[in-house]
Amino acid sequence: MILALAVAAGAIVFAGVYLILSRDLLRMVVGVSILGYAANLALLASGRPEPGMKPAIVPEGLEALSSAAADPVPQALVLTSIVIGFALTCFSLVLVLAIQQRTGGADADALREVEPPPTHDHQPALVEEEP
Amino acid sequence: MLAIAPFALFVWASRAFLRYEAPFELRFPWVPWLGVEVGFHVDALALFFLLLITGVGTCVFVYAAGYLGEDPKRRRLFSWLVVFMAAMIGAVAADDLFVLYTFWELTSLASFMLVSYHHESETARRSARQAMLVTFGGGFVLLLGFLVLAGLAGTSSIQGVIAAAPRFAGEPAARFAMFCLFVGAFTKSAQIPFHFWLPDAMAAPTPVSAYLHSATMVKLGVYLLARIEHVFADDWLFGPTLIVVGGTTSAWAMVKTLRERDLKRILAWATVSALGTMMMLIGLPGAEGAMALVAFVLAHALYKAPLFFVAGNVDHCTGTRDIGQLAALARVMPWTAAAALAAALSMGGFPLSFGHFAKELIHIAKRDGDLYTIIGYGSIPVSAITVAVAAIAAVRIFWHRGDGSIPSEMHEAPFSMRIPPLALASLGVLLGLSPHVVDPMLQAAAKCITPDAHLVEIDETRELLGLVPVYALGVIVFASWDRLHEVVAKVKLPSFLLAKTHLEKSQETAVHLASIVTRTIQHGRLRGYAALLFSTMLAALALTLAATLEDGRTLVAHARLGEIDGARIAVLGACVLLVVSAIAMTVLRDTFVLLLVSGLMGLGVALSFLFAGAPDLALTQFIVEVALVVVIASVLLRVRRLGIEHPPTPASPSRLALSLGLGAAVALAIVAASGTGTASTALAEYFGAHSLPDAHGRNVVNVLLVDFRALDTLGEITVLSLAFFATARVFAAFRREEAGR
Repeated sequence: MILALAVAAGAIVFAGVYLILSRDLLRMVVGVSILGYAANLALLASGRPEPGMKPAIVPEGLEALSSAAADPVPQALVLTSIVIGFALTCFSLVLVLAIQQRTGGADADALREVEPPPTHDHQPALVEEEP
Repeated sequence: MLAIAPFALFVWASRAFLRYEAPFELRFPWVPWLGVEVGFHVDALALFFLLLITGVGTCVFVYAAGYLGEDPKRRRLFSWLVVFMAAMIGAVAADDLFVLYTFWELTSLASFMLVSYHHESETARRSARQAMLVTFGGGFVLLLGFLVLAGLAGTSSIQGVIAAAPRFAGEPAARFAMFCLFVGAFTKSAQIPFHFWLPDAMAAPTPVSAYLHSATMVKLGVYLLARIEHVFADDWLFGPTLIVVGGTTSAWAMVKTLRERDLKRILAWATVSALGTMMMLIGLPGAEGAMALVAFVLAHALYKAPLFFVAGNVDHCTGTRDIGQLAALARVMPWTAAAALAAALSMGGFPLSFGHFAKELIHIAKRDGDLYTIIGYGSIPVSAITVAVAAIAAVRIFWHRGDGSIPSEMHEAPFSMRIPPLALASLGVLLGLSPHVVDPMLQAAAKCITPDAHLVEIDETRELLGLVPVYALGVIVFASWDRLHEVVAKVKLPSFLLAKTHLEKSQETAVHLASIVTRTIQHGRLRGYAALLFSTMLAALALTLAATLEDGRTLVAHARLGEIDGARIAVLGACVLLVVSAIAMTVLRDTFVLLLVSGLMGLGVALSFLFAGAPDLALTQFIVEVALVVVIASVLLRVRRLGIEHPPTPASPSRLALSLGLGAAVALAIVAASGTGTASTALAEYFGAHSLPDAHGRNVVNVLLVDFRALDTLGEITVLSLAFFATARVFAAFRREEAGR
């Protein structure tokens, strides 16, 4: 189970990093978003789950969780992470949209307005001097 | 009104001095585990300097009030003057090396703020920066020396170090500390090769120049070396180094004086020269040196501060400080002229002035020992130029006829600017008439430097005869000042010899290097930043793995698949789905399909949650995926409308390697983390046991979120709503712009 989760998380990390390193802004956002999946799987794996484990719910008539139930702590962390990841993805997608509208492209390498390329004499290029 | 504070302190210090019997101390712990305490040890030497600081301070405050008038920035000046005075008092009273260092640097800081008072002027800013770089740079070396010294002595108390000095005398580390202290003292007291900052610091307002850069702060280096002379006195390099550096500075500064036309800068170079003489006096052997040093410090403060005041008055009343344009001011400014004359008498060392008394002591000290006779003769030209400078400041600009280019609008300085120079200068003359008044004080202070200091018998006739060539030469220099000036001004030293050039060049280099470093690290390419980030992650993970995976069998033992059952097959299926979609995402061209596959991936994650005992997570993930599809669809529709292409970037080997490596590292790390040690179930057990009794909830995950970690969840909700509002705003702006097209 752990092994399967690990392989899946590894594959997702591979795809996520690969996408983030592309020039296309949209792909970058997708890459960041799926890296979150990998993180969630890794968090879940830290609880050492076994397939078919009982959910972390105290059964009727009992006062405490049985030892066969899944670990609730990583699950709670993952739940938070899913929601935050969703918010992040939505916001970045809209930002990408706005950037595309402003610049007319989605090339990450072309985004040099804040940190313009260095001049030849290695002098710091001041933003104020840019036209 | 502000002058009351220094004056009160002055009165207090005088009273303490009159009743002086033994040093008094004040100590309280500061950093106990390092043995550092805020210790103050006020002995006669410290009291002597305290008198100087508060006495001159009183005059400076009175003078500054008149000098600044209604200047809107005057509060700033007064605040920093007060800070400076407090720092100065702390520095001379401190008994702990590190307390002394703190106050030492505080005076440098105050100097920086005061020199840059006219911050709208480029020159003032540059001078302030230069002074700060030199004195702070020297300060760091000084701190190094203090650290070595404290380590050698086992205590950071100055008295303790002096007491422990015989234990470590002669050790190489002690000599190293000595030279560190030299650098610190030389930077502060403007000795060659660090002398250049002092004349440039004349960009400061005149009260500041009079107080910091002639009477007190620059004497801190002299004070420090006098204070710890005892520690290094046995080192054969101590005396000669000071004599050579002090002597060279003293002579060179006088040559530089001849190059100047600005009255203030002339006085500044004369100050540098006087500081050189003081350094020399510390280096001289024999007990007379200490007496001469203390007397000279007092005399110098009593004549140089008033001369600066005079320069300030002249500047204030005529609008220029160029000695070529100033003449015959005595008619208009009789009070200032009188003060200048009195001060100049003392500066030139003419009989019946305190400067004369000090000069005689210096001569006696220099005569001690055959080897030093040459120094005595060598200093004749220096003294002669000092006489000439005194004459320039007092005679030439006040009584000399001059030509027609003299400014016509002149007036005498206001009352508050007349009193301080007159008071200080006349005190210099009065003390010269009866030096025995201050003799006990000087002797007590000198005893703190050299315990066997004593009153010196002065043979008046012999000393006067010795001074005759000085006066004669001085008159000649004064008479031919303009011609000498022309000759000296023509001489140009090669720039590599000038420490100033090197400082300026190193500043440029620093900026240049910084820009290169910035450009290399902060290159502005998004992908570069991401690559750097991931490489660091990979390196960190690889190092951790290398440290934990020594036993490869652990990994293998946990790599078993276990029994095959329904849930296991489902999880395996979900994982296969994840791997396949991950690979697909790297090659897909169409963004719409790409986003669909990312949704598919979310589905796979949700499935694995479902079969790993986490149905809540699965449910949330499903909902999020559905919501995301709505957002993606609306975004993509608009992207399509913009007609922007999203081609995949061709794979490069490094990009593939980095992503593959990081993926593998993460997979290995997950396996390794679950393979090492036993899982801690303490938290799970705690929450499992307390969920129902404490929070009345059976779903432990839910209870965790809304009860045990409620604040976290509140933060999460906040983030979510913020993101929602931001998204909505950006989206709305987008639509407005779209509609405007």
